[in-house]
Amino acid sequence: MKLEIDSFSGYRIYPSKGKLFVRGDSKVFRFASSKNASLFLQRKNPRKIAWTVVYRRMHKKGITEEVAKKRSRKTVKHQRGIVGADLATIAARRNQTAAIRSQQRLAAITKAKSEKKEKEVKKEKAKPARPSAASGPKVSKQQMKGGKGGR
Amino acid sequence: MIGLKNNSGALVVECVNILKNKVNNGWGSVGDEIVVVVQRARPISAATQASVNAVKVRRGDVRRAVIVRTRKQVRRPDGSYIRFDDNAAVLLNNKKEMLGTRIGGIVSADLRLKGWGKIVSLAPRVV
Repeated sequence: MKLEIDSFSGYRIYPSKGKLFVRGDSKVFRFASSKNASLFLQRKNPRKIAWTVVYRRMHKKGITEEVAKKRSRKTVKHQRGIVGADLATIAARRNQTAAIRSQQRLAAITKAKSEKKEKEVKKEKAKPARPSAASGPKVSKQQMKGGKGGR
Repeated sequence: MIGLKNNSGALVVECVNILKNKVNNGWGSVGDEIVVVVQRARPISAATQASVNAVKVRRGDVRRAVIVRTRKQVRRPDGSYIRFDDNAAVLLNNKKEMLGTRIGGIVSADLRLKGWGKIVSLAPRVV
């Protein structure tokens, strides 16, 4: 079903209703009722006639005329944890200042360095122990071999 | 009924004196065939006379025509009404074919219902 719009009042024209008027310049006008047609032919201005849609829209009458506010979807920021980092840690990271971060970095470096030193120290300590441990079986093997061969 | 006709070919003429073919109340409506007298014709130029196919319509000629627009509103099958600003017809020959090759202006869609589909298809706009 095709609804036409009245070219004077802006009313809806339902099928089988209304009048079609074709002017000499082949412009087509549709009228819902003889009232509209008559007013149009009297060259009345629909903006000055209070009950037309144009007038009501111009003077902001009625709630129905209000154009529905555009609803746009807003992207909502949502925080949640990601793999390996839950929300608390992320927030903590975010709230850090640069100074703290550099401090931490320094601390981490020093710590790493000290650990390295410790390791080295340990290695040195372990070294004498190790050869003995390594040589132990060797010696024993040799001894075993030697022992066998010697005997 | 006085019909102002626009038909292309060699003429812009005004026609008067209509004879109804249909048994009606003596009034013609859109899609009716009528007999017209050419009241005014475009002067036939030498160029059009030279061409063989040119249709010569002179003042005072009696011709057949179809009404394509009426000021009187016409009822559509769906109950709505249509009305134009002027009366207009299209000239025909004896075989009910158009004399001209073009149609100027809007044409009522009711013509198609009455078997003038060719005229409708030639028209620049149909309402």
